[in-house]
Amino acid sequence: MQQPQRRIVYLIALLAGFAWIFASADRSGVSTSGKIPAPQQGFLAPDFELETTTGESVKLSDLRGQAVLVNLWATWCPPCRAEMQSIEKVYREYKDEGFTILAVNMTRQDDALAVMPFVQEQGLTFPILLDESGEVANAYQLQSLPSSYFIRRDGVINEVVIGGPMSEALLRTRIEDILK
Amino acid sequence: MITLFRSLFAPPRHLILLVAALWIGLALAEKRSERQGVSKEALNNLIYYSLFGYILGGRLLYALSNFSIFVQSPRSLFSLNLDLFDPLAALAVAFLVGLVYGSRQKLAFWHTLDALTPFFAILAIGLSLSHLAAGTAFGSPTNLPWGIEMWNAARHPAQLYELLAALLIFGWIWFRKADSPPGAAFLTFTALTAAARLFLEAFRGDSILVFGGLRLAQILAWIALAAALFASESLRRVAKAN
Repeated sequence: MQQPQRRIVYLIALLAGFAWIFASADRSGVSTSGKIPAPQQGFLAPDFELETTTGESVKLSDLRGQAVLVNLWATWCPPCRAEMQSIEKVYREYKDEGFTILAVNMTRQDDALAVMPFVQEQGLTFPILLDESGEVANAYQLQSLPSSYFIRRDGVINEVVIGGPMSEALLRTRIEDILK
Repeated sequence: MITLFRSLFAPPRHLILLVAALWIGLALAEKRSERQGVSKEALNNLIYYSLFGYILGGRLLYALSNFSIFVQSPRSLFSLNLDLFDPLAALAVAFLVGLVYGSRQKLAFWHTLDALTPFFAILAIGLSLSHLAAGTAFGSPTNLPWGIEMWNAARHPAQLYELLAALLIFGWIWFRKADSPPGAAFLTFTALTAAARLFLEAFRGDSILVFGGLRLAQILAWIALAAALFASESLRRVAKAN
Protein backbone atom coordinates (compact mmCIF):
# COMPACT_ATOMS: atom_id res chain seq x y z
CA MET A 1 0.00 0.00 0.00
CA GLN A 2 1.31 3.47 -0.89
CA GLN A 3 1.88 6.05 1.82
CA PRO A 4 -1.13 8.36 1.05
CA GLN A 5 -3.54 5.41 0.86
CA ARG A 6 -2.13 3.96 4.07
CA ARG A 7 -2.60 7.23 5.90
CA ILE A 8 -6.21 7.44 4.76
CA VAL A 9 -6.82 3.88 6.02
CA TYR A 10 -5.23 4.77 9.39
CA LEU A 11 -7.34 7.92 9.65
CA ILE A 12 -10.55 6.03 8.83
CA ALA A 13 -9.65 3.35 11.40
CA LEU A 14 -9.10 5.98 14.09
CA LEU A 15 -12.29 7.87 13.26
CA ALA A 16 -14.31 4.63 13.20
CA GLY A 17 -12.76 3.62 16.54
CA PHE A 18 -13.63 7.00 18.03
CA ALA A 19 -17.24 6.72 16.84
CA TRP A 20 -17.45 3.14 18.19
CA ILE A 21 -16.45 4.33 21.67
CA PHE A 22 -19.52 6.58 21.76
CA ALA A 23 -21.81 4.15 19.90
CA SER A 24 -21.04 1.36 22.38
CA ALA A 25 -21.11 3.52 25.51
CA ASP A 26 -23.01 1.91 28.34
CA ARG A 27 -25.44 4.51 29.61
CA SER A 28 -27.80 2.00 31.23
CA GLY A 29 -25.10 0.70 33.56
CA VAL A 30 -25.58 -2.96 32.53
CA SER A 31 -21.87 -3.57 32.72
CA THR A 32 -21.99 -3.02 36.47
CA SER A 33 -23.74 -6.22 37.36
CA GLY A 34 -24.44 -5.46 41.03
CA LYS A 35 -28.13 -6.23 40.78
CA ILE A 36 -27.83 -9.88 39.69
CA PRO A 37 -26.90 -12.41 42.40
CA ALA A 38 -23.82 -14.41 41.36
CA PRO A 39 -20.65 -15.56 43.15
CA GLN A 40 -18.35 -13.17 41.30
CA GLN A 41 -16.76 -9.79 41.94
CA GLY A 42 -19.16 -6.94 41.20
CA PHE A 43 -22.33 -9.02 41.65
CA LEU A 44 -24.80 -9.17 44.52
CA ALA A 45 -23.77 -11.99 46.88
CA PRO A 46 -26.25 -14.91 46.56
CA ASP A 47 -28.44 -14.96 49.65
CA PHE A 48 -28.75 -17.96 51.98
CA GLU A 49 -30.14 -18.85 55.36
CA LEU A 50 -28.47 -21.54 57.46
CA GLU A 51 -28.26 -22.71 61.05
CA THR A 52 -25.15 -22.22 63.14
CA THR A 53 -23.54 -24.94 65.26
CA THR A 54 -25.48 -23.49 68.21
CA GLY A 55 -28.83 -23.77 66.41
CA GLU A 56 -29.38 -20.09 65.56
CA SER A 57 -30.60 -19.15 62.10
CA VAL A 58 -28.48 -16.66 60.13
CA LYS A 59 -29.54 -15.03 56.85
CA LEU A 60 -26.88 -13.26 54.79
CA SER A 61 -29.21 -10.48 53.58
CA ASP A 62 -30.07 -9.62 57.21
CA LEU A 63 -26.45 -8.52 57.59
CA ARG A 64 -26.81 -5.76 54.95
CA GLY A 65 -25.02 -2.68 56.31
CA GLN A 66 -22.14 -4.78 57.64
CA ALA A 67 -19.02 -5.87 55.80
CA VAL A 68 -19.06 -9.68 55.60
CA LEU A 69 -16.53 -12.40 54.84
CA VAL A 70 -18.20 -15.62 53.69
CA ASN A 71 -15.65 -18.41 54.02
CA LEU A 72 -16.52 -21.85 52.63
CA TRP A 73 -14.51 -24.59 54.36
CA ALA A 74 -14.31 -28.19 55.50
CA THR A 75 -12.44 -29.91 58.33
CA TRP A 76 -10.64 -32.30 55.95
CA CYS A 77 -9.21 -29.40 53.90
CA PRO A 78 -5.66 -28.53 55.15
CA PRO A 79 -5.53 -24.91 53.83
CA CYS A 80 -8.99 -24.28 55.38
CA ARG A 81 -7.69 -25.44 58.75
CA ALA A 82 -4.46 -23.48 58.34
CA GLU A 83 -6.18 -20.12 57.76
CA MET A 84 -8.66 -20.34 60.66
CA GLN A 85 -6.32 -18.80 63.24
CA SER A 86 -5.65 -15.77 61.00
CA ILE A 87 -9.39 -15.41 60.36
CA GLU A 88 -10.11 -15.54 64.10
CA LYS A 89 -7.43 -12.92 64.75
CA VAL A 90 -8.79 -10.42 62.22
CA TYR A 91 -12.37 -11.11 63.34
CA ARG A 92 -11.46 -10.00 66.86
CA GLU A 93 -9.67 -6.92 65.46
CA TYR A 94 -12.42 -5.69 63.16
CA LYS A 95 -15.75 -6.94 64.58
CA ASP A 96 -16.43 -3.68 66.41
CA GLU A 97 -16.09 -1.74 63.14
CA GLY A 98 -19.08 -3.47 61.53
CA PHE A 99 -17.35 -6.56 60.19
CA THR A 100 -18.54 -10.12 60.53
CA ILE A 101 -17.59 -13.56 59.30
CA LEU A 102 -19.85 -16.39 58.20
CA ALA A 103 -17.74 -19.54 58.07
CA VAL A 104 -19.91 -21.97 56.15
CA ASN A 105 -18.92 -25.58 56.70
CA MET A 106 -19.55 -27.76 53.65
CA THR A 107 -21.28 -30.28 55.88
CA ARG A 108 -22.63 -32.35 52.99
CA GLN A 109 -19.07 -33.25 52.02
CA ASP A 110 -17.65 -33.18 55.55
CA ASP A 111 -17.96 -35.18 58.74
CA ALA A 112 -20.58 -33.28 60.76
CA LEU A 113 -19.26 -34.80 64.00
CA ALA A 114 -15.78 -33.37 63.34
CA VAL A 115 -16.96 -29.75 63.12
CA MET A 116 -17.58 -28.89 66.78
CA PRO A 117 -14.35 -30.48 68.13
CA PHE A 118 -12.39 -28.53 65.47
CA VAL A 119 -14.13 -25.24 66.36
CA GLN A 120 -13.44 -25.77 70.07
CA GLU A 121 -9.85 -26.85 69.49
CA GLN A 122 -9.20 -23.70 67.44
CA GLY A 123 -11.15 -21.43 69.83
CA LEU A 124 -13.21 -19.91 67.01
CA THR A 125 -15.68 -17.24 68.13
CA PHE A 126 -17.28 -16.23 64.81
CA PRO A 127 -20.49 -17.90 63.55
CA ILE A 128 -19.98 -21.36 62.03
CA LEU A 129 -22.82 -22.28 59.67
CA LEU A 130 -23.68 -25.79 58.52
CA ASP A 131 -24.50 -26.28 54.83
CA GLU A 132 -26.09 -29.70 55.19
CA SER A 133 -28.07 -29.65 51.95
CA GLY A 134 -25.30 -28.17 49.75
CA GLU A 135 -27.45 -25.06 49.14
CA VAL A 136 -24.56 -22.62 49.56
CA ALA A 137 -22.10 -24.83 47.66
CA ASN A 138 -24.52 -24.73 44.71
CA ALA A 139 -25.34 -21.03 44.94
CA TYR A 140 -21.66 -20.14 45.13
CA GLN A 141 -20.76 -22.62 42.34
CA LEU A 142 -18.08 -24.08 44.60
CA GLN A 143 -15.05 -25.47 42.74
CA SER A 144 -12.25 -25.36 45.32
CA LEU A 145 -11.87 -25.15 49.09
CA PRO A 146 -11.37 -22.82 50.80
CA SER A 147 -13.29 -20.13 48.89
CA SER A 148 -13.71 -16.69 50.43
CA TYR A 149 -16.06 -13.88 49.41
CA PHE A 150 -15.46 -10.38 50.72
CA ILE A 151 -18.83 -8.62 50.67
CA ARG A 152 -19.33 -4.86 50.96
CA ARG A 153 -21.93 -3.22 53.21
CA ASP A 154 -24.30 -2.94 50.20
CA GLY A 155 -24.24 -6.71 49.67
CA VAL A 156 -22.05 -6.65 46.56
CA ILE A 157 -19.04 -8.98 46.34
CA ASN A 158 -15.87 -6.91 46.38
CA GLU A 159 -13.42 -9.74 45.89
CA VAL A 160 -13.28 -13.51 45.64
CA VAL A 161 -10.24 -15.42 46.92
CA ILE A 162 -10.09 -19.03 45.80
CA GLY A 163 -7.65 -21.28 47.63
CA GLY A 164 -5.62 -20.65 50.75
CA PRO A 165 -4.43 -20.36 53.37
CA MET A 166 -5.04 -16.60 53.37
CA SER A 167 -2.36 -14.63 55.15
CA GLU A 168 -3.16 -11.98 57.74
CA ALA A 169 -2.04 -9.22 55.38
CA LEU A 170 -4.40 -10.46 52.67
CA LEU A 171 -7.29 -10.60 55.13
CA ARG A 172 -6.56 -7.13 56.51
CA THR A 173 -6.22 -5.43 53.11
CA ARG A 174 -9.48 -6.97 51.87
CA ILE A 175 -11.38 -6.28 55.09
CA GLU A 176 -10.27 -2.64 55.12
CA ASP A 177 -11.49 -2.37 51.51
CA ILE A 178 -14.98 -3.65 52.32
CA LEU A 179 -15.26 -1.56 55.46
CA LYS A 180 -14.76 1.69 53.49
CA MET B 1 -17.21 -28.34 26.25
CA ILE B 2 -16.86 -24.88 27.83
CA THR B 3 -18.24 -26.24 31.12
CA LEU B 4 -15.72 -29.09 31.08
CA PHE B 5 -12.87 -26.67 30.30
CA ARG B 6 -13.99 -24.34 33.10
CA SER B 7 -14.21 -27.14 35.65
CA LEU B 8 -10.80 -28.52 34.61
CA PHE B 9 -9.10 -25.15 34.96
CA ALA B 10 -11.23 -23.60 37.71
CA PRO B 11 -9.32 -21.12 39.87
CA PRO B 12 -6.64 -21.39 41.09
CA ARG B 13 -5.79 -23.94 38.34
CA HIS B 14 -6.43 -21.29 35.65
CA LEU B 15 -2.90 -20.02 36.33
CA ILE B 16 -1.55 -23.21 34.70
CA LEU B 17 -2.80 -21.78 31.40
CA LEU B 18 -0.75 -18.61 31.89
CA VAL B 19 2.38 -20.58 32.80
CA ALA B 20 1.91 -22.80 29.73
CA ALA B 21 1.48 -19.70 27.54
CA LEU B 22 4.64 -18.21 29.03
CA TRP B 23 6.59 -21.36 28.21
CA ILE B 24 5.23 -21.76 24.65
CA GLY B 25 5.64 -18.03 23.97
CA LEU B 26 9.26 -18.11 25.08
CA ALA B 27 9.96 -21.17 22.89
CA LEU B 28 8.41 -19.50 19.81
CA ALA B 29 10.17 -16.18 20.47
CA GLU B 30 13.49 -18.03 20.72
CA LYS B 31 12.76 -19.76 17.42
CA ARG B 32 12.33 -16.43 15.64
CA SER B 33 14.94 -14.41 17.56
CA GLU B 34 17.82 -15.07 15.16
CA ARG B 35 15.74 -13.64 12.32
CA GLN B 36 15.70 -10.32 14.23
CA GLY B 37 19.43 -10.45 14.96
CA VAL B 38 18.85 -11.04 18.69
CA SER B 39 20.60 -14.01 20.30
CA LYS B 40 18.47 -16.68 22.00
CA GLU B 41 20.47 -16.31 25.17
CA ALA B 42 19.96 -12.54 25.35
CA LEU B 43 16.22 -12.96 24.73
CA ASN B 44 15.96 -15.66 27.39
CA ASN B 45 17.82 -13.55 29.93
CA LEU B 46 15.73 -10.50 29.10
CA ILE B 47 12.49 -12.42 29.71
CA TYR B 48 13.73 -14.14 32.88
CA TYR B 49 15.08 -10.93 34.43
CA SER B 50 11.86 -9.10 33.55
CA LEU B 51 9.78 -11.92 35.04
CA PHE B 52 11.85 -11.80 38.19
CA GLY B 53 11.30 -8.02 38.32
CA TYR B 54 7.58 -8.58 37.72
CA ILE B 55 7.19 -11.01 40.61
CA LEU B 56 9.45 -9.20 43.08
CA GLY B 57 8.32 -5.69 42.11
CA GLY B 58 4.63 -6.60 42.24
CA ARG B 59 4.91 -7.99 45.76
CA LEU B 60 7.28 -5.35 47.19
CA LEU B 61 5.36 -2.37 45.83
CA TYR B 62 2.10 -3.89 47.04
CA ALA B 63 3.64 -4.27 50.51
CA LEU B 64 4.91 -0.68 50.39
CA SER B 65 1.49 0.67 49.45
CA ASN B 66 -0.02 -1.30 52.38
CA PHE B 67 2.90 -0.64 54.71
CA SER B 68 0.92 -0.35 57.96
CA ILE B 69 -0.71 -3.74 57.34
CA PHE B 70 2.53 -5.55 56.48
CA VAL B 71 4.22 -4.09 59.56
CA GLN B 72 1.66 -5.96 61.68
CA SER B 73 2.44 -9.28 59.96
CA PRO B 74 5.83 -9.03 58.19
CA ARG B 75 5.82 -12.77 57.40
CA SER B 76 3.00 -12.05 54.92
CA LEU B 77 5.68 -10.60 52.64
CA PHE B 78 6.66 -14.20 51.88
CA SER B 79 3.09 -15.48 51.71
CA LEU B 80 2.14 -17.67 48.76
CA ASN B 81 -1.10 -15.66 48.33
CA LEU B 82 -0.99 -14.40 44.76
CA ASP B 83 -3.52 -11.70 45.61
CA LEU B 84 -0.93 -9.76 47.63
CA PHE B 85 0.30 -8.25 44.40
CA ASP B 86 0.11 -5.02 42.42
CA PRO B 87 -0.05 -6.06 38.73
CA LEU B 88 0.38 -2.56 37.29
CA ALA B 89 3.42 -1.81 39.45
CA ALA B 90 4.75 -5.27 38.54
CA LEU B 91 4.44 -4.48 34.82
CA ALA B 92 6.25 -1.15 35.31
CA VAL B 93 9.11 -2.86 37.19
CA ALA B 94 9.34 -5.64 34.56
CA PHE B 95 9.52 -3.01 31.80
CA LEU B 96 12.24 -1.07 33.64
CA VAL B 97 14.26 -4.22 34.32
CA GLY B 98 13.98 -5.20 30.64
CA LEU B 99 15.02 -1.71 29.57
CA VAL B 100 18.07 -1.68 31.85
CA TYR B 101 19.12 -5.21 30.77
CA GLY B 102 18.59 -4.35 27.10
CA SER B 103 20.64 -1.16 27.26
CA ARG B 104 23.47 -2.85 29.22
CA GLN B 105 23.59 -5.64 26.62
CA LYS B 106 23.23 -3.05 23.81
CA LEU B 107 20.21 -4.84 22.34
CA ALA B 108 18.63 -2.98 19.41
CA PHE B 109 15.29 -1.63 20.75
CA TRP B 110 12.94 -2.35 17.83
CA HIS B 111 14.61 -5.63 16.83
CA THR B 112 14.25 -6.89 20.40
CA LEU B 113 10.58 -5.89 20.57
CA ASP B 114 10.01 -7.68 17.24
CA ALA B 115 11.71 -10.78 18.61
CA LEU B 116 9.47 -10.63 21.70
CA THR B 117 6.26 -10.22 19.69
CA PRO B 118 5.41 -13.98 19.42
CA PHE B 119 5.88 -14.17 23.19
CA PHE B 120 3.36 -11.35 23.73
CA ALA B 121 0.94 -12.85 21.19
CA ILE B 122 0.94 -16.26 22.90
CA LEU B 123 0.54 -14.58 26.30
CA ALA B 124 -2.60 -12.88 24.96
CA ILE B 125 -3.98 -16.31 23.98
CA GLY B 126 -3.15 -17.71 27.44
CA LEU B 127 -4.75 -14.70 29.10
CA SER B 128 -8.03 -15.15 27.22
CA LEU B 129 -8.09 -18.87 28.12
CA SER B 130 -7.46 -18.08 31.78
CA HIS B 131 -10.25 -15.48 31.66
CA LEU B 132 -12.60 -18.14 30.29
CA ALA B 133 -11.57 -20.65 32.97
CA ALA B 134 -11.93 -18.15 35.82
CA GLY B 135 -15.09 -16.53 34.46
CA THR B 136 -13.47 -13.10 34.57
CA ALA B 137 -13.64 -10.57 31.71
CA PHE B 138 -17.18 -11.87 31.14
CA GLY B 139 -19.66 -10.63 28.56
CA SER B 140 -22.79 -8.53 28.89
CA PRO B 141 -26.21 -10.24 28.87
CA THR B 142 -27.50 -11.21 25.40
CA ASN B 143 -30.34 -13.06 23.68
CA LEU B 144 -28.14 -14.11 20.76
CA PRO B 145 -28.10 -17.88 20.05
CA TRP B 146 -24.37 -18.16 20.74
CA GLY B 147 -24.66 -16.64 24.23
CA ILE B 148 -23.18 -18.75 27.03
CA GLU B 149 -24.53 -19.27 30.54
CA MET B 150 -22.24 -17.51 32.97
CA TRP B 151 -22.88 -15.85 36.34
CA ASN B 152 -26.60 -16.60 36.22
CA ALA B 153 -27.33 -15.03 32.80
CA ALA B 154 -26.93 -15.81 29.10
CA ARG B 155 -23.96 -13.65 28.11
CA HIS B 156 -21.82 -12.75 25.14
CA PRO B 157 -18.92 -15.25 25.12
CA ALA B 158 -16.54 -12.29 25.53
CA GLN B 159 -13.63 -14.54 26.47
CA LEU B 160 -14.11 -16.59 23.29
CA TYR B 161 -14.22 -13.39 21.20
CA GLU B 162 -10.97 -12.39 22.94
CA LEU B 163 -9.46 -15.84 22.23
CA LEU B 164 -10.45 -15.75 18.56
CA ALA B 165 -8.95 -12.28 18.15
CA ALA B 166 -5.73 -13.34 19.91
CA LEU B 167 -5.43 -16.44 17.69
CA LEU B 168 -5.96 -14.40 14.50
CA ILE B 169 -3.43 -11.79 15.61
CA PHE B 170 -0.89 -14.51 16.44
CA GLY B 171 -1.45 -16.07 12.99
CA TRP B 172 -0.97 -12.68 11.31
CA ILE B 173 2.25 -12.04 13.24
CA TRP B 174 3.69 -15.52 12.80
CA PHE B 175 3.05 -15.91 9.07
CA ARG B 176 3.87 -12.36 7.94
CA LYS B 177 6.76 -11.55 5.62
CA ALA B 178 10.18 -11.31 7.28
CA ASP B 179 11.44 -8.34 5.24
CA SER B 180 9.46 -5.59 7.01
CA PRO B 181 11.33 -2.71 8.70
CA PRO B 182 12.44 -2.98 12.35
CA GLY B 183 9.56 -2.48 14.78
CA ALA B 184 6.89 -3.41 12.22
CA ALA B 185 6.03 -6.77 13.82
CA PHE B 186 5.67 -5.30 17.30
CA LEU B 187 3.73 -2.24 16.16
CA THR B 188 1.41 -4.36 14.00
CA PHE B 189 0.76 -6.59 17.02
CA THR B 190 0.09 -3.54 19.20
CA ALA B 191 -2.23 -1.92 16.66
CA LEU B 192 -4.20 -5.14 16.05
CA THR B 193 -4.48 -5.93 19.76
CA ALA B 194 -5.63 -2.38 20.52
CA ALA B 195 -8.15 -2.46 17.66
CA ALA B 196 -9.51 -5.81 18.87
CA ARG B 197 -9.89 -4.49 22.40
CA LEU B 198 -11.53 -1.31 21.14
CA PHE B 199 -14.12 -3.36 19.27
CA LEU B 200 -14.65 -6.26 21.68
CA GLU B 201 -14.82 -4.23 24.89
CA ALA B 202 -18.33 -3.22 23.79
CA PHE B 203 -19.51 -6.78 24.55
CA ARG B 204 -17.99 -6.95 28.03
CA GLY B 205 -20.14 -6.97 31.14
CA ASP B 206 -17.49 -5.74 33.54
CA SER B 207 -16.17 -2.58 31.89
CA ILE B 208 -14.97 0.29 34.04
CA LEU B 209 -17.19 3.21 33.02
CA VAL B 210 -16.09 6.83 32.92
CA PHE B 211 -17.62 10.13 31.75
CA GLY B 212 -21.23 8.91 31.97
CA GLY B 213 -20.89 5.49 30.36
CA LEU B 214 -17.77 5.49 28.17
CA ARG B 215 -15.64 2.39 28.63
CA LEU B 216 -12.18 3.21 29.99
CA ALA B 217 -10.53 0.25 28.22
CA GLN B 218 -11.80 1.50 24.85
CA ILE B 219 -10.36 4.97 25.41
CA LEU B 220 -6.97 3.49 26.38
CA ALA B 221 -7.10 1.08 23.41
CA TRP B 222 -7.84 3.97 21.03
CA ILE B 223 -4.81 5.89 22.38
CA ALA B 224 -2.63 2.76 21.98
CA LEU B 225 -3.93 2.27 18.43
CA ALA B 226 -3.19 5.87 17.48
CA ALA B 227 0.30 5.68 19.03
CA ALA B 228 1.09 2.40 17.22
CA LEU B 229 -0.07 3.77 13.84
CA PHE B 230 1.85 7.01 14.34
CA ALA B 231 5.04 5.15 15.39
CA SER B 232 4.64 2.79 12.46
CA GLU B 233 4.48 5.71 10.00
CA SER B 234 7.49 7.39 11.63
CA LEU B 235 9.57 4.19 11.40
CA ARG B 236 8.65 3.75 7.73
CA ARG B 237 9.72 7.34 7.04
CA VAL B 238 13.06 6.78 8.80
CA ALA B 239 13.60 3.45 6.96
CA LYS B 240 12.83 5.13 3.63
CA ALA B 241 15.20 8.03 4.37
CA ASN B 242 17.99 5.53 5.17
